[in-house]
Formats: sequence, structure tokens, C-alpha cells
Amino acid sequence: MAESLIINRIREKRFFADEMTQQELADRVGVTRQTIMAIEKGKYSPSLEVAFKMAEVFECHLDDIFQYQAK
Amino acid sequence: MDMSFKEKSHWISLVSTICIFGYYFYNIVMLAGVPVEEAKDIAKDLLIQAIVLSVLVEIILHTMLAATNHKAAEMGADERDKLFEYRGNQVGYTILVVGVVITLGRIITIEYNPDFADHYSSLQIPLLTAHLLMFSFILSEVARFAVTLFNYRRGY
Repeated sequence: MAESLIINRIREKRFFADEMTQQELADRVGVTRQTIMAIEKGKYSPSLEVAFKMAEVFECHLDDIFQYQAK
Repeated sequence: MDMSFKEKSHWISLVSTICIFGYYFYNIVMLAGVPVEEAKDIAKDLLIQAIVLSVLVEIILHTMLAATNHKAAEMGADERDKLFEYRGNQVGYTILVVGVVITLGRIITIEYNPDFADHYSSLQIPLLTAHLLMFSFILSEVARFAVTLFNYRRGY
């Protein structure tokens, strides 16, 4: 599988949200903790729905969390 | 090893399927030398035993798994789980179709050329067509679980 071109700042966002745990974020966006872990590592790109839910949780814009890096 | 509820569930299904139906197919192949009438009854009993045991083991182990993790059990599959299951299903379905086509080919060949059954049914196993279909089904299930678990282990 090609390396993902989407980078994210979830780890940083969690840290500044009172060190929110992966489990807490997972519960709030409706996925498993393992999925949050995979997204953070850039191994899995979430659906738009989950991405928007994350933006809602962190009260920021989508592109504050996810950026597309063209080669 | 950090595994989600769904991944554990797939491990249970993979291991129980391999153990129970591995034992079943081993015994079916061992029927090769047994007189046909006797072998038919044994094969039928083996099939019923394997199916009943498989259902029981799945129910018991999945109940135990759910009991240790209520929240994950209630949540079900998330989008990543569904993606991995979809990939597993694709491979499993392909194998099942190939198995069914091969079995159909055998049935048609025997219908038009009865000698084929005598010459090439070297195993002389009763209900061979049923066993071929069963083998295709179990192989497709094993492939389905294995591909899904492979995706989980790779992480994407």
C-alpha cells in the first residue's frame, strides 16, 4: 500500500485538550482506540464523517488536524 | 499484543475453524479404505459433529469475550473493522466461487462420463461432492479470517 499523503496533528491536539486519551477520543468519535492509534500513526485515513467529528471534538477546522501533502 | 474486540473475535473464529474442520477433513481423508456403507455413516456423523462443535465453540468463546469487554461488544464494528472485513470477504468469496465451479465441473464431467468417477475418484470417499463443497466453504472462511487478521496486523 502506498504511504499516506495525509498527515495529522491528532497527538498534538489531544495533548492540548487536557491530555485527552486515545480511548476518550475514540469514544467521542465512535471508533475503537486501535483505529485512533492507526490514524495517529498515519496508517489509516478516516472517513470524512470521523474527521469532521474530530474537528468538532477539538473545536477547530478540519485542516487544523489533517493536511494533504502533495508529493 | 494490542487487539481490538473485533480482531480477537476473528482470531477465535480462525483458530476454532482450523482446529475443528482440520480434524474433520483429516478423518474424512482417512475414510479412504473403509467400506462405503460404513464410511457414509461415519462421514455423516463427522459432519454433524463438526458443525455442532463449531457453533458451540463460537458461541461460548464469543460470549466469554463479550463478557470481558461489554463496551466494545456493544459498539460493534467501526469503519476500519468494516474495511478489513470487506477485504477479507472479497478473498473468501473468490475462493468459494472457484470451489463451487470446480465441484460443478466434476458433477457435469461424471454425468457425461461415468468412467471418470471410477478412474479418478481415487480417494473413494462417500459423499465426495458434499465434502468438496464443504472444503471450499471452510477454505474460503479460513482465507476470509486470515486476510482480515493480516490487515489488522499490518495496521492499515
